[in-house]
Amino acid sequence: MSRQTVISAKHLKKSFGKKENIQTIYSDLNIDIYKGDFTVIMGSSGAGKSTLMYSLSGMDKPDGGQIDFDGTDITKLNSDKLAVFRRSQCGFVFQQIYLIDKMSLMDNVITAGVLTSRNKENIKNRAKELFSLVNIPEITWKKNPSQISGGEAQRAGIVRAVINNPNVLFADEPTGALNSANGTAVLDVFTSLHEKGQSIVMVTHDKKSALRGSRILYIKDGEIFGECDLGKFAPDDTERTEKFEKFITEMGW
Amino acid sequence: MNKTSTLIIHNLKKTKGQYISFGLIICLTACIMNIALVLAFQTFKAYDSSFSELDTADINFMIPQVSDDSEIIDAIEKIDGVLKVEKHEGVFVSAIVREFAESDFDMKTVFYNLDESRTLNRFHVSEYSEEDEDIVYIPMYMKEMGGFFENGNITYSVDDKDYTYKIGGIVSEMQYGNYGTGLIGAYLPAAAYEKFSAEHREQTVTEYSLRTNDTVDLSKVKNKITGILSDKGITALNINDRIACKQTRTMVCTLLIVIFLALAAIILAVSIFLSSFRIRSTIEDELAQMGVLKAIGYTSKLIICSSVWPYTLVGIASTVIGAVLSYIALPYVAAILAIQSGFIYTPVFDAKALLIVIIIPVIIIYLFAYISAMKIYKLGPMGAIRGKSGNGGAGQNILLAVLSIGIMVLLSFAGTLLYNISVKPDNFMNTLSEESPSVVFTVQNDKMSELTKILQGDNRVKLVLEYASTSVSYVDGSLIAFVSEDFGKVTNDICYEGRSPVGEDEIAVGNMLAEDYPIGSKIEISISDKASVYVVTGYIQSVNNAGKVCQLTNKGYEKIGEKMNMVNVYLHEEIAEAFIEEYEEQYDTLITASVNYEQLSEAGRTMYAGIVSVVAVVLFVISVLMVLLVLYVIINSMISRRRQEFGIYKAIGYTSRQLTILTVKQFIPVVACSSILSAIAGIWYLPVINQTIFSQIGAMKNHFEVSIWILLAAAILFTAVALFISVLLSAPIKKITAYSLLKE
Repeated sequence: MSRQTVISAKHLKKSFGKKENIQTIYSDLNIDIYKGDFTVIMGSSGAGKSTLMYSLSGMDKPDGGQIDFDGTDITKLNSDKLAVFRRSQCGFVFQQIYLIDKMSLMDNVITAGVLTSRNKENIKNRAKELFSLVNIPEITWKKNPSQISGGEAQRAGIVRAVINNPNVLFADEPTGALNSANGTAVLDVFTSLHEKGQSIVMVTHDKKSALRGSRILYIKDGEIFGECDLGKFAPDDTERTEKFEKFITEMGW
Repeated sequence: MNKTSTLIIHNLKKTKGQYISFGLIICLTACIMNIALVLAFQTFKAYDSSFSELDTADINFMIPQVSDDSEIIDAIEKIDGVLKVEKHEGVFVSAIVREFAESDFDMKTVFYNLDESRTLNRFHVSEYSEEDEDIVYIPMYMKEMGGFFENGNITYSVDDKDYTYKIGGIVSEMQYGNYGTGLIGAYLPAAAYEKFSAEHREQTVTEYSLRTNDTVDLSKVKNKITGILSDKGITALNINDRIACKQTRTMVCTLLIVIFLALAAIILAVSIFLSSFRIRSTIEDELAQMGVLKAIGYTSKLIICSSVWPYTLVGIASTVIGAVLSYIALPYVAAILAIQSGFIYTPVFDAKALLIVIIIPVIIIYLFAYISAMKIYKLGPMGAIRGKSGNGGAGQNILLAVLSIGIMVLLSFAGTLLYNISVKPDNFMNTLSEESPSVVFTVQNDKMSELTKILQGDNRVKLVLEYASTSVSYVDGSLIAFVSEDFGKVTNDICYEGRSPVGEDEIAVGNMLAEDYPIGSKIEISISDKASVYVVTGYIQSVNNAGKVCQLTNKGYEKIGEKMNMVNVYLHEEIAEAFIEEYEEQYDTLITASVNYEQLSEAGRTMYAGIVSVVAVVLFVISVLMVLLVLYVIINSMISRRRQEFGIYKAIGYTSRQLTILTVKQFIPVVACSSILSAIAGIWYLPVINQTIFSQIGAMKNHFEVSIWILLAAAILFTAVALFISVLLSAPIKKITAYSLLKE
């Protein structure tokens, strides 16, 4: 059965800087993201992983090329239209979490929820379900980000990211600022969401995080250098782990 | 707003202190603005309403009763626009009012018969005395300015005879109730009036009171009256109209309105820049957060909305509160104004003023907040998350400089006003009045040179100057003429354009005549049947006579009138009382009357300076309050923005003291430089501000001294307050550990 493409990017170009100091990130990059996949983008530092992810999600505009996101060429949308597009199509989880300080976790989630629904009760109910899913107890919902642990904050960040049922959930080094235990808890949430059918695109340089993905893309020299299908995550599947290890070694990790 | 309400409430809660301080400033702006607008909308209306209620005539003029005949009234009734003419009898004298503000004050006074029936120029009496003889009813101006009171005594000295009356009550009337018009009323019961007028038959006058239709040009009517009188060889002793009278009686009110509106505008401008500063700071501070909001689907418009609406909502609430609070202050302001205007009015709620006070500041706040927040449009979500705002701190420094300059303008204006009222009061009085000698002597005919010689030989005397004021006529009515031997010697040069007259054919005219009589043109001036034509050499200001004044040299005046016998004596020290006593005793054959002008000036100074110094102190307090609030907002915002950075500094070994210095160094140079520059620039801009404000009441030549030292002191005070507050606000840094700062 052929997989359904949710994002298809063709001939992407992106560079930073001006004139002599110009740094080309990619000049003709093609990539497809499939529905229901947990796509992990890996690569060395400065390879353009995050840049690619933010281009695919409409957070940043490429210098050239086309990005078809579920039937919409998002390179043609202006910034406000992109914002409206992102409301229902994309969810974001950041390395630095970026919850709004001095605002309760529940209000942080509602702030995103009100963008697609006028019914605050419905938003609250869904937020409660999601908080339970990510193991954040009710007592914590009213707390501000500064009053909870990093792991809890990141899980709350995931709740905010998925409150509007996004087509694709984008995550940029989601465990980068967390300790091992908190990192694992966050990754478990991603796995759980993936199992429920959520399409995920995650950028990481952490092998443990990458192993959660079903499809690994490796960026090098401005192109998709290699690709590896791992299938669904199973913690005790050594064969899967070995396949992953072999792949990244081949990529020059 | 549904989508952004959570963010708006969050923003309001997050920086409560900032919004409270912003709200306080706007509250203050609204309060001052509402006071100014209520005064502007109601005082003049209240004046007009009292004017109508008391059926006050539009024009009044007086002629000696002996010159009156029935043809005059017939001719005046035929003038276009004249609806009604009524005649009243009075006695027009130059009366020395004893103990007027603890001095003897020579006032042109008209004594009326209180019981004479009248349908025009009616008056209201606070209470009638049961007694009938030796009772007088005086205008409120005499009570407030002269320090007289009901049931107390007042003595008028007329032709060297003292008339002491018991004050039966206070009269409210709208024509001669304020000496600013150059004439004051006194009202005697029939018996007392008969007795008084019998002794002053020659000074008995007929007052013609005219009611005109609303559309008629009063100066044209006055012109025709002068023509009618002139044909009969009569000169009006006084001619007064509704407009000039209103202008005089509402002078301080106009001044207050102008100052208050200017103050409100400056405070509003400062608070707008402050809100702009805050919004820009917030964008810088919360760049990543805004990036995230954009990432999760907030459009620029929604984010801008969440930044702009808190200020707008605070603006709406604060303007309403400020306007409501102003009603507590308004009765006191109205009471202060009543002292000068001579009529009482009670301020009432004014919906129009309230709407303006809310709408104008709120629209301005919204617009400026929106413009400041427009930067959000340019923020890409990625760039914002990565902390690229595309704009450095230069913009904030510019804002800080603008705020500092705005506050310095306030401080400098308040400081200069206070300086010229308290330290150099002559500057203030010279702006509002004419010559201020120590003593004025009225000299026996032909004895002027003898007395002058004696005075010049007296080493206590600084200057002796023949100077007098009298009434003359021109084609459109009457003028107060200042007559002097040499205007080059005057101590208060009131000529603001061109020059004072030197030759006998020259004249300088008041600002009301400036439009009709350009410099170099000719004007005919007359007294009774004698007239002469003079060339206009310049313009002079006059606050007290609504600009209807002129200057003539002694020789120039003597072409139409008899030689004036008054001399101004300027003393080195304030010894006028003893000086007069001594001269009256030694030279009683030379001196017919003397006025202690020193005391009189002091009285006037106390009255005007009292009102204006209250305003100046209020201005000063507001300025200092503004400094505190503005600095609180700015410094607090700077410190909160750099907390994480401070954490890093602390971690690597910086002490709290070093961090405080670091904070102070970030903006004190900007504050110091802008305030010093503003102080230096004040030398140029303050005279313009003073000139603009005082010209509203006819003071075309401003004598205020703008002292660079006062301005520099204001700049130093401002910088010192900034320094003090910054150190105070930096104090909490000491208590926060490096770890907790970094954790934030």
